[in-house]
Amino acid sequence: MKLFFLISFSLLILGCGSYPKKQGFKLDTTSQRTLVNPYFSNNEIDYVYKAKIEVYDRQFGGLLIIKKINGLEHRVAFTTEMGNKLFDFSFSQNDFKVNYIVDDFDKGLLIKILKQDFKTLITESLSNEMFYKNNFQNVHETTLYNKKHFYFFDIGKLVKINRVKGTKEKVSFIFSDISDSIAKQIEIIHYNIQLKITLKSIK
Amino acid sequence: MLKPMRKIFFIPFFLISANFFAQSPMNSQEAAALKTLVKTRAATTKTITSDFTQSKHLDFLDNDVVTKGQLAFKSPNLIKWSYVDPFKYSVIFKNETLYINDEGNKSNIDIGSNQMFKQLNKLIINSIKGDMFDDETFSIEYFKNDHSSLVQFASKDKKLSKYISAFHITFNSNGDVEQVKMIEPSGDYTKIVFSNRVLNNSINEAVFSN
Repeated sequence: MKLFFLISFSLLILGCGSYPKKQGFKLDTTSQRTLVNPYFSNNEIDYVYKAKIEVYDRQFGGLLIIKKINGLEHRVAFTTEMGNKLFDFSFSQNDFKVNYIVDDFDKGLLIKILKQDFKTLITESLSNEMFYKNNFQNVHETTLYNKKHFYFFDIGKLVKINRVKGTKEKVSFIFSDISDSIAKQIEIIHYNIQLKITLKSIK
Repeated sequence: MLKPMRKIFFIPFFLISANFFAQSPMNSQEAAALKTLVKTRAATTKTITSDFTQSKHLDFLDNDVVTKGQLAFKSPNLIKWSYVDPFKYSVIFKNETLYINDEGNKSNIDIGSNQMFKQLNKLIINSIKGDMFDDETFSIEYFKNDHSSLVQFASKDKKLSKYISAFHITFNSNGDVEQVKMIEPSGDYTKIVFSNRVLNNSINEAVFSN
């Protein structure tokens, strides 16, 4: 019986270990830090990406179009290559609106997944809750729609965002081919469902 | 800021200018003549090859999203849209299947069970030829200017109008389609402008295999 409690207690302790600790991040409290996601923040740019979406055994493509409007709102629309609009969302600080969605995409769970992914992509200013060092990277911890997010900066460039639950990574946003605050290549990889979105800038 | 006196002169001048370029409605004889011309042209069109420029207009964007490519059409119902700029993507409409080549990744989509897609496909074929004069599906209005004719096909079908509320097709004086504009209920639209259009040249069947 004692052994049972000991094992349970040990598992509980291990299970509760934090993501930063498990990853070997070193906490840094030496100075105040600010956290900014620079991508999609310029309201003079129309951000247009060729998108490839792999969901379970299906694959389809289209164009993902993102625009910051009036400094307060982002529009995120998806069309086929031939121009048919599949969805059009509006994001503001605390609001989300579906302006249009085709019937085939009008599913609660799908909208929730897309809403969370795009909210992470476009949210600019975040509160820095913790700051860590990870080898050569700076790692910021924050909370977005009540979920823990870790932002990885490599020589000042945001290269990855991990959405985390407990010690497990649920979604990774990987930014590459970065110049002038534009990530020309973005991958959104879900680990708990078979969903991968690959974005390649065409503008 | 314009001074009031200047405004008085400027506004009528602006209105005259705008009117000069505007389309005016056709009378019923002109509309009937255009319809006959386009239908005759469509009936004798066995193949079409053309370059195209597609502009996707979304109201919230500063600039339209512009893509370019080539179209190949073979009567009665083979179409290939090949986008080459700014990415390589082609889609072949053949029987009840879409054959897609997305930068080398090939896939098929069966549209046999999707009535809406089948209807849209039929409309796209008809719009390339310009022959959409179906009073059951559309309420049709005819306009003209010096160089071209414009026919506006507004969807009557409730299901269709959820996707496309109207097709606006511009014809040259030979009855060939110069431009197709597909307008969504929100006002956003896709405009396709054709250039270097060649009719009835032979097209190798292999063009339509993925």
